[in-house]
Amino acid sequence: MTDPSRIAEPSRGPGRVEMEGLTITFKLPGGETLDAVKDVDLALEPGSFTALIGPSGCGKSTILNAIAGFVEISGGTIRIDRETVTGINPEVGVVFQQYALFPWFTAIGNVEFALKRLRLPKAERRDRAIEALREVGLEDRARTFPGQLSGGMKQRVALARTFASEPKVLLMDEPFGALDAQTRVSMQELLLRVWDMHRATVLFVTHDVDEALLLSDWAHVMSAGPGRIVESIDVDTPRPRKVDEVTEDFLDNRNRIMRLLRPDETGGGAEA
Amino acid sequence: MKPIGKLLNVALSLIGVTVVWWLVATSGLISQELFPTPHAVFIAALELYEDGILFSDLAVSLGRAAVGFLIGASLGILVGLLTARTRLFAYALGPFLNLLRPIPAIALVPVAIVWFGIGEGSKYFVIAYTVFLAVWLNTHHGTAHVALTYIRAARSLGARRTREFFEVIIPAAAPHIVVGLRLGAALAFLSLVAAELSGASAGIGFRLQDARDYVRTDRMFVGLIELGILGALLDQFFVVVGNKLVHWEQM
Ligand SMILES: Nc1ncnc2c1ncn2[C@@H]1O[C@H](COP(=O)(O)OP(=O)(O)OP(=O)(O)O)[C@@H](O)[C@H]1O
Ligand SMILES: [Mg+2]
Repeated sequence: MTDPSRIAEPSRGPGRVEMEGLTITFKLPGGETLDAVKDVDLALEPGSFTALIGPSGCGKSTILNAIAGFVEISGGTIRIDRETVTGINPEVGVVFQQYALFPWFTAIGNVEFALKRLRLPKAERRDRAIEALREVGLEDRARTFPGQLSGGMKQRVALARTFASEPKVLLMDEPFGALDAQTRVSMQELLLRVWDMHRATVLFVTHDVDEALLLSDWAHVMSAGPGRIVESIDVDTPRPRKVDEVTEDFLDNRNRIMRLLRPDETGGGAEA
Repeated sequence: MKPIGKLLNVALSLIGVTVVWWLVATSGLISQELFPTPHAVFIAALELYEDGILFSDLAVSLGRAAVGFLIGASLGILVGLLTARTRLFAYALGPFLNLLRPIPAIALVPVAIVWFGIGEGSKYFVIAYTVFLAVWLNTHHGTAHVALTYIRAARSLGARRTREFFEVIIPAAAPHIVVGLRLGAALAFLSLVAAELSGASAGIGFRLQDARDYVRTDRMFVGLIELGILGALLDQFFVVVGNKLVHWEQM
């Protein structure tokens, strides 16, 4: 899938996501309509990590659902490696906030569910599933059912499951929102480690500005609904980053985003 | 409660009820012809046992319930899966099945006898009908309301329709199907008795009817107690097996 016009660009791996004029309108029961997302242009570089921040209800989840093929778009286009998204597609992995692990399968069963599409021989599938669990530090819990795992462990199995199917793009909708602060930090570090091994293009929705700046290459800030992107911040703090080493860049970026998120200024800031 | 505690609870409660029963029956307020003592009922049971009737009745009734249940339950699961997941079946059968729901098994007995005669066929039919409706309804409901995130997760993990059906939809609906089976088993007993009350020559329901003709309330009580014990054991069986089968969702 080499496209001559792209060869000059810095990163050429798979997983480029392009949204142009993305508009998503919901039909409400009363016959009215609601623009959840309007005219959003956004491009994600292959293998990059992008955070999406914005006030509640601005359409972050809706954008993710559209890329995943869960909701139909009303206008514009979404392309992944120049192919228009038309529905749910295993090239796009999703990590859900409520984990969405299958409770009737063990941890390894959940990971193998994802591996089945690769049609590997059984023994190899098993090995790869164990390897995926090892990456998230849960190989000794392979036979445990999700009901017996803690929230953080469930989310680790969910990560292992999603990465195991080798998606080009990984969507995460506030994946650590339900976790306590400590578990959250270790999950963030783990995510960066696993992402570094697989290098999928990540789009990560969060309410937490620190989390966005810790994880991402780009942080896009959205205005109140119908959401548009009001500011895109290139987070060039060098990696590996540490939670306990706050740099000046970090603080600058943090202040900038905080100002944008203040309700009285989002409207004005958006037009500027 | 722990198993021991539970057993103790059951035993104490039954002993208490038996004592009250005995007090009422021997108080002289009611004729013992109409309300026999626990002792009389025990003697009647012994009599039936010695005549070889007690267990043969039990076997006949259980056999009928089992055959009717198996037919009704398998059809119920099959049709439930179909009406929940395929439009054709939903539109073609949904309204009809919902019309059947309010028709009680007992109302079907005369029809069943005309259709299948007074042999085993009519009993199987009445029992299977009742079980079918309960199992169908629960299977349909559970299968139609599988959480959207499971379906989305399955598809974005690359599962195609067959795998989605067998590895996601069926397990997700399983707790509801088990509830349907448990309910179906209880209803199988209700309709069994309805079917046996007319046109049978053996079985617990027949024995109840037979005892009425001779005003043998002691024998009737034996039949009622049998039904109670069988039903309770069967229900426990479904709880235990159900909890094993759908271990991720305790009943
Ligand atoms: N299925 C739907 N039907 C109708 N309206 C919807 C639907 N899904 C979302 N919306 C509406 O679209 C808007 C954007 O919702 P969305 O869930 O994308 O917000 P969000 O940015 O993810 O918010 P939060 O941060 O609270 O999760 C909201 O006004 C919401 O009510
Ligand atoms: Mg959301």
